[in-house]
Amino acid sequence: MNDGLFDQFKEWYEKRHDYARAWKARTGGQVVATMCTYTPEELLIAAGMLPVRVLGAHEPQNVTEPHIFGMFCPFCRDSLAQGLLGRFDYAEGVTLTQSCIQYRQAYSSWRQNVPTVQWDYYVAMPNDVQSPHSRKAHYAEIQRFRVFLQTLTGKELTDDMLRDALVVMDENRRLLRELFDYRKDENPKVTGVEALYASITAQFIDKREHNEMLRKVLAALPSRKVTRPTGARFMTIGSENDDVAFMAMVESVGATIVIDDQCSGTRYFWNASKPEADVVKAIAERYCDRPACPTKDYPAHTRFDHVLNLAKEYKVQAAVFLQQKFCDPHEGDYPDLKRHLEANGIPTLFLEFDITNPIGPFRIRIEAMLETLSEEELF
Amino acid sequence: MITAGIDMGSRSVKVVLLEEVSMEGKPLMVVKQAHLMLPGDLDADQAAEQAYDDALKAAGVARGDVKSVFATGAGRGQVAFATEGITEMTAGARGAVYMYPQARTVVDVGAEEGRGIKTDAEGKAIDFAGNEKCAAGAGSFAEAMSRALQLSLKEFGEASLKSDKSIPMNAQCTVFAESEVVSLIHSSTPKEDIAKAVLDAVASRVCAMVRRVGIDGQVVLIGGMGHNPGFVASLKNAMEVDEVLLPELPEFASALGCALIAAERLH
Repeated sequence: MNDGLFDQFKEWYEKRHDYARAWKARTGGQVVATMCTYTPEELLIAAGMLPVRVLGAHEPQNVTEPHIFGMFCPFCRDSLAQGLLGRFDYAEGVTLTQSCIQYRQAYSSWRQNVPTVQWDYYVAMPNDVQSPHSRKAHYAEIQRFRVFLQTLTGKELTDDMLRDALVVMDENRRLLRELFDYRKDENPKVTGVEALYASITAQFIDKREHNEMLRKVLAALPSRKVTRPTGARFMTIGSENDDVAFMAMVESVGATIVIDDQCSGTRYFWNASKPEADVVKAIAERYCDRPACPTKDYPAHTRFDHVLNLAKEYKVQAAVFLQQKFCDPHEGDYPDLKRHLEANGIPTLFLEFDITNPIGPFRIRIEAMLETLSEEELF
Repeated sequence: MITAGIDMGSRSVKVVLLEEVSMEGKPLMVVKQAHLMLPGDLDADQAAEQAYDDALKAAGVARGDVKSVFATGAGRGQVAFATEGITEMTAGARGAVYMYPQARTVVDVGAEEGRGIKTDAEGKAIDFAGNEKCAAGAGSFAEAMSRALQLSLKEFGEASLKSDKSIPMNAQCTVFAESEVVSLIHSSTPKEDIAKAVLDAVASRVCAMVRRVGIDGQVVLIGGMGHNPGFVASLKNAMEVDEVLLPELPEFASALGCALIAAERLH
């Protein structure tokens, strides 16, 4: 839909490094390269910093081999490459919250080999978030991060400052959910590409500014004219995905991506915090309770039903697994999650993603998937 | 009524002309012409024109008599005169089930890609899986290995049938696999044993793909690799099935599927 409604998000996405540099010049604040969406951004925002999630550039690179193994997932390799290539030379800090071991190694390589890094911090969030002991441990880890930031900046991070940051973050989450609700419509007023631009930019744009833009878009959406056919309703499943070219291709051949279970999308913002007198508890528990990444989804596999419920709620006709090659946590879930969806009437398609993706062969697979869904037209 | 199906593969262009005739008052689809052309230096669009013209000429059919042309294959977008394009999965499943109505699992191994397709009784693809960015599950891999052994493709397939050895080939990349082949040659391993090792490896990779969609009912093999008897034997062994159905001209199955769907669309 060419009405320009999402152009700001698109521009932010395409010029994210320019944005961060301009933000820094304007505010004098520190920029922090964040890895993994389990990062408690509330603390960074409260400390007057701009959290900027590290994303890849989807272009061939040859700089990571001396540091991490070639059989690490493409997202880890591409993320590290961005640091090594100096694309984040404006970021003083780098931080990772524990998710998978490959990401941990990519982070370690970043902090050791990116010369512009002035400080780093690893949030040792437990993976077994279903255990009450882990929740207590995560509470302690958040407090520890708070102390670290206070020492770093020489300024106290008061409960009120954390509460203000949490309000901003929760508002962002609420607005994104509201935006995604429009994708439930029979003819969705928001395409998958547009939704991706909106959700991914939340991970590196100043949240207050992002919220303002979301409110503008939400005000305009009720009267937006849908000028494209919806076609088949697809869901995407996987880890990180910001391959806009792929998403645009899917939506150009007779489908609309109506929902996702990815950390570049719904997993990032789906749940807000619960009211708590203790703001640190509210922040810590919010991350324990969010839709789980496979690294934090045991012993019970909570995400299987969560994904299925999303599929039902958004009337999904087929789910496409965007599997980052060598991403062990998601590969581990794939066979069972595929069976779970198919047993409940949601056919699936598996595509293996790399740093760059072959659009032509992927188009054939998407078109074949559409053909399997459209028997009336062909037979 | 005549319809045409064109399969623009990465190595060859296949054309099938299909005629609907009446048999005891019922419509029957009859293959009027099956024509294969190697494009040589021709561009894809020129190759499509040339192959189609050759097929029409051989069949004695005028262009205007063909009611609909469906195209498939990697270069289907280059067939400017096609009424519509469909994917290889849909075309292959339809063609395979037309020839073998009892087949529910279609294994399609051409020059560029291998894929497994699950189909229903009408020949509609209901699930599929293909090899990802790797030649080791496709015909071009076998071709490269036959070159390394200095055998023609025909000799390569036949040689493997003479071996009862099972030599594992670990490499999944064409280049590294070639290194393994060279190592085996240097260790004086008989060519027939190496040929079998290569075809077992291709069959194993193809089989792993097919298992992703599930092996259900009877299995039919289509695509150019169907002409390699060694591969057929290896595939049967890897899939642990009693029989792999094999059309006489397996490389035409997708073009046939196209022509069939073109005809069905007109009804």
